[in-house]
Amino acid sequence: MNQMSSVPQYPPPLPPVAASFSGDRGEFRRLVTHGALLELITVGFYRFWLATDIRRHLWSHTAVNGDACEYTGRGKELLMGFLFALAILVPIYLAYFLVGLEAERFKAFASFPLFVFFYVFGQFAIYRARRYRLTRTVWCGVRFWMEGSGWAYAARAALWAILMPLTFGLILPWREAALERYKMRHSYYGDLQGRFEASGWELFKRGWWLWVVAVGPPVVAGIVLPPLARNASQIMGAVTLLMMVLAPFIYAAFKAVEWRWWMSGIRFGEVRFESTLPRGALVSLYWKVVGWLLLIVAVFVGYLMLCAALIARVSEASMAQVFASGHLQGSIPMLVLAGIGYLAFILLFNAVMRVYLMRDVWARLVGSTQVHGLGALATVSVRGELASAVGEGLADGLDVVGF
Amino acid sequence: MSISMHSAPLQGSAPSGAAASAVYFDGSSNRRHPVTLVFKDRLELDEVAEPTIAWSYHDIRRADGPPGVLRLRSVVAPALARLEIRDAAVASELISRCARLDEQAPGRHGVGAIIGWSLAAAVSIVAVVLFGVPLAADRLTPLVPQALERRLGDAADLQVKAFFGDKICSGAAGQQAFGKLVERLRETAGLDNSVQASVLATPVANAFALPGGRIYLFSGLLAKAENPDEIAGVLAHELGHLKHRDSVRELIHNGGSSFLIGLLFGDITGSGAAIFASRSLVTASYSREAEQDADSFAIDVMHRLGRSPKGMGELLFRITGKEGDRSLSILAGHPLTEDRLARMRAEDRPPSGPPLLTDGEWLALKTACASR
Repeated sequence: MNQMSSVPQYPPPLPPVAASFSGDRGEFRRLVTHGALLELITVGFYRFWLATDIRRHLWSHTAVNGDACEYTGRGKELLMGFLFALAILVPIYLAYFLVGLEAERFKAFASFPLFVFFYVFGQFAIYRARRYRLTRTVWCGVRFWMEGSGWAYAARAALWAILMPLTFGLILPWREAALERYKMRHSYYGDLQGRFEASGWELFKRGWWLWVVAVGPPVVAGIVLPPLARNASQIMGAVTLLMMVLAPFIYAAFKAVEWRWWMSGIRFGEVRFESTLPRGALVSLYWKVVGWLLLIVAVFVGYLMLCAALIARVSEASMAQVFASGHLQGSIPMLVLAGIGYLAFILLFNAVMRVYLMRDVWARLVGSTQVHGLGALATVSVRGELASAVGEGLADGLDVVGF
Repeated sequence: MSISMHSAPLQGSAPSGAAASAVYFDGSSNRRHPVTLVFKDRLELDEVAEPTIAWSYHDIRRADGPPGVLRLRSVVAPALARLEIRDAAVASELISRCARLDEQAPGRHGVGAIIGWSLAAAVSIVAVVLFGVPLAADRLTPLVPQALERRLGDAADLQVKAFFGDKICSGAAGQQAFGKLVERLRETAGLDNSVQASVLATPVANAFALPGGRIYLFSGLLAKAENPDEIAGVLAHELGHLKHRDSVRELIHNGGSSFLIGLLFGDITGSGAAIFASRSLVTASYSREAEQDADSFAIDVMHRLGRSPKGMGELLFRITGKEGDRSLSILAGHPLTEDRLARMRAEDRPPSGPPLLTDGEWLALKTACASR
């Protein structure tokens, strides 16, 4: 250590270094297809280990300055977190039922606002889930960690959420910035505190036109035109079709803008991240998912026709009869076959989404990222506690996604 | 940095120069320690001007690393201490010495064990849903206080009125006739006088019982009825639900089974439909059983009154028609109407008791809503 102090205190600024993702696509594809199959066999319980394996793959192939990250979480921790979360959720569901009953006695459907509680609880879970993931992230022998209160975060998220409908969603950039500021302010790499420096205004400047494109045509066709034009319903149909085609473009552009903005706002001490992800970088990925979805649906429909034909042959009824309403009663085998086909369908689709929307998006984002001021990382000491996986279990139990 | 090889096999082929670098992270800071590996009876990590660290070979485990890097940890070293070796020859030499390298390796989570335990969990969940939950519903229902059941009923009552409007048919003669009919059925059914029945003015042809003793007969059903026995059968059926406390039983059963089924498949995108389908199957099957029991109850009450239950079946059939053509029996919450009709026809007996209402009372009941 004495040797270290002879090193100049303020090293000359180093040129930015690139972050890189070196994961093999085929390996990831095998990981998720194999995992999807195991998820089917284990009626979903394999998800804890699959999520862990996916993160291990993504983390260990993500490197900054040649040093790769490491994910130290384990599937068993997620399972335990899930079981703990169940123990927490069951009494909450019961209490929710009883409180809701009293509210309904007071006025019909008065219990509806109670769902707000679950929204807030979901936000809490999102915060705690991120904390779990962060504390399992190691780079150069030092762990990331997170403090702060999940409830304080959830309260902020809920208050911002109230403003969303009031501003037709235009407040979104400021909401994201405020929430990310809270998260990053309480995140640390060893003893180096994080912060988030991107502003809502920047995100608004980059993304407002997407809001216009997404909201504009439906509003014009649905509200403005009908009193004026006679063939309003035809216009509405055309606009709906147009929006279906536009949706993947709009969403992909929004995600690219959002990711780039997020990455470029991250700071740890003097270390600064910067992403140059182009707006159109994710469009092809979303279209590939759409293409795969159409293909899988086509295969699924073909499979159903084949099953129907087989059953028709076995039961000596015509195809039309199998599909005619009167024969549904006797077509339990058809239902069973359709159920099996449906399970295969959703598993395939999950694998597709994980490859394109998880791995490929991450690879493109990391590939576009530069890290400035790594010199400030000369000596960072390990600090902070490991967080439990209960937060992640709650997020699983409440079906919320977010990070 | 050079690697000194004290082991015999590699002596001659020791890689030279910077290619054979190893980096040690001490687990307490992010400082990169360039170390020289010495293979003795333990692995020594030599660093200039630092005390030498030694790892026993049998303590060394593999950690997740990027391709081309052998990343190692030691079970006795600080949890985050890592040794990173990029030189393939050194790595393979070390691997050959570490017998327990891949014990507890991440990713080697006995897949067989996970499958086994998952299947066991799934079988137990299905068994509990099919056998445990109905049993629990039967046993728990008597323990639910009447007061709570009435509260449930109050809440449901407000919802019913929000949906169907709260126009209670209040024609005096009709009220009286309805009261008389309900009273006779209630006494025969052996229910206490917490039962409150009323006719609600709505074109929907239906009737139902709410927890806590409320029964609603919709005027739409009254309009389709042709004689008092038809309505009496329907009311007796609803009294059967009250007697069996079916609302509470179904609440417990459906709540419990939905929760358990929801544990399966978790967060897989698209699994919602599969879960919804299995939930519907289970709850529909339970509801069908409850309906069957309420029908048995109604048949029994009508027999005791000396009237035929056949009318109820005919009234239902008049409303729904043949159901087998349109719906799947396994998804229906009621037995199919044609099956109910067949059952009630089979229970048909010539009337042995007096008519439940006089012609005048029947007319008054039929017009109870029109007179408003």
